[in-house]
Amino acid sequence: MLEKPIGGEKRVFMTGNEVVAWAALAAEADIMYGYPITPQNEVMHYWTRLAPKYGRSFLQTEDEISAGFTTCGGVLSGKRAFTATAGPGNILMQESMTMAEMMRIPTVLVVQQRGGPSTATVIYSQQEVTMTCFGGNGEGLRIVYSTCSHQELYDYTIKAFNVAWKYRFPVFVLGDGYQAKMRESLKMYDPATKGIKMVETQPSLGLAGVPGVDREPSHLRNTYNTEEELCEVVTNLVKEYNKVVPEVVEYETFETEVAEIVLLGHGIVTRAAQAAVKTLREQGIKVGHFRPITIHPFAADELRAICKHAKKLIVIESAQGQFERIVKEAIYGESVPMESYFKPGQGVTGEEIVEYVKKGL
Amino acid sequence: MSNAVKLALAGEGGQGVQSVAGILVEAANDEGREALYIPNFGVEQRGGVSVAFCQISDERIGSPKFKFADLVIALSDRAVRRTKQYVDENTVFIYDSSVEGVEDDLPQKAKKILAIPALDIAKKELHPRVFNVIVMGAAIAVTKIVDMEQAKSALEKKLGYKFEQDPKLRELNFKALKKGVELVEGKV
Repeated sequence: MLEKPIGGEKRVFMTGNEVVAWAALAAEADIMYGYPITPQNEVMHYWTRLAPKYGRSFLQTEDEISAGFTTCGGVLSGKRAFTATAGPGNILMQESMTMAEMMRIPTVLVVQQRGGPSTATVIYSQQEVTMTCFGGNGEGLRIVYSTCSHQELYDYTIKAFNVAWKYRFPVFVLGDGYQAKMRESLKMYDPATKGIKMVETQPSLGLAGVPGVDREPSHLRNTYNTEEELCEVVTNLVKEYNKVVPEVVEYETFETEVAEIVLLGHGIVTRAAQAAVKTLREQGIKVGHFRPITIHPFAADELRAICKHAKKLIVIESAQGQFERIVKEAIYGESVPMESYFKPGQGVTGEEIVEYVKKGL
Repeated sequence: MSNAVKLALAGEGGQGVQSVAGILVEAANDEGREALYIPNFGVEQRGGVSVAFCQISDERIGSPKFKFADLVIALSDRAVRRTKQYVDENTVFIYDSSVEGVEDDLPQKAKKILAIPALDIAKKELHPRVFNVIVMGAAIAVTKIVDMEQAKSALEKKLGYKFEQDPKLRELNFKALKKGVELVEGKV
């Protein structure tokens, strides 16, 4: 049996789905549960090829409802478990992910967004934002990383396991079909060489000893009888989630300090926005870019600070305002004018952002 | 926007455009350059227009899609209609001369439009299977995105196991590559 999947650091050139499989291996994931759906399939394909070499496991379930719940089950048994899905599969996994929120099960779910609504395209979109951040019947007590490159897919898949197990909230890596299918270079590494220590996993069920005698019973609940009891439970969950927020929230800014126009975009769209900032700055136009990495929770205070001096915000996304709703909620009460550039289910290029910004000058 | 060379290759599913794109970016990556390749296809199990978007640069590459390409190669009538949107006055547009009925669908403002008899040559002089390698040769000759030797070693990397079994295949592929170069040399 091979020990470490990656020794030291190495430059590689591969698809994003392959990156996720390698990252999960490097993060010492024990098992993947999954059900195929494009554009996520190759996460499973690569995992099933790689996992046996390193003593890891895989279970293909009968559907995504099952893949989500078996992931919860794997975690409850103390395994570092994960799953991956997209689109309609993401819908089916929301039920299990809300159970993970309620029972504090540290699941990791990688989403490679495809077009919607319904079957739509197998290619790309940013239309799974609302569902991934707030899906299910609950309060969105989860952490969602919106990545923009293969490097980040690698970094944040590893991080997702640690954040999940440290804080015990479900963690999502929100990629998209472009990131899933494209090939680009990145540096893979053994987390230990970067000083990253994997948070230890623990079983929640099947513990040694007699419950109530040798140890506290592990009483995991997602069912309550009274309104009062539920309200108290959820209020406490929200309180604990809010305590975690400042520790996990992440964002990046590009030339926002003296920007009159600030482009807001997340995920792969940040690449187009960054390119547009570069081009427009060269032409003397004062443009900056704010990019949340955790799209939920959101770096609201930091964006508010930018709103104080910006003259205009432009929200750019490959969806019809799903990201914009998050932004609006975060900066409620600010008076800076806001415009939107929506292309539901379609990619955004730097060139078109430049064109749009210049038209509005 | 960036100094990346942008390439869109389009054909019917099975014509091998994704393989060509894969080999090209692999070659560029092996040269230590930055490459980004994204395949684009519909929900069909077989058939349908398949487009490969490639960018090769000396710096990190921005968004995976682009508005206009430096080179577009279209290998079927549907591919011509699908990809003319990526053509502006700086784009070289190449299509296979066997494609019929696209006279009115060719892009209006390309830098250069060129029909090459790749399929015909593959069938008559080489082998239909190396049709896409001829196309690859043409793509390299127009864009100079990779060194020809590097392209050969990328082919070797991808098809080496087949070359081992039948060394004639190596010769055939390299010949196809050269033929592709000749088809566009001095014309763009």
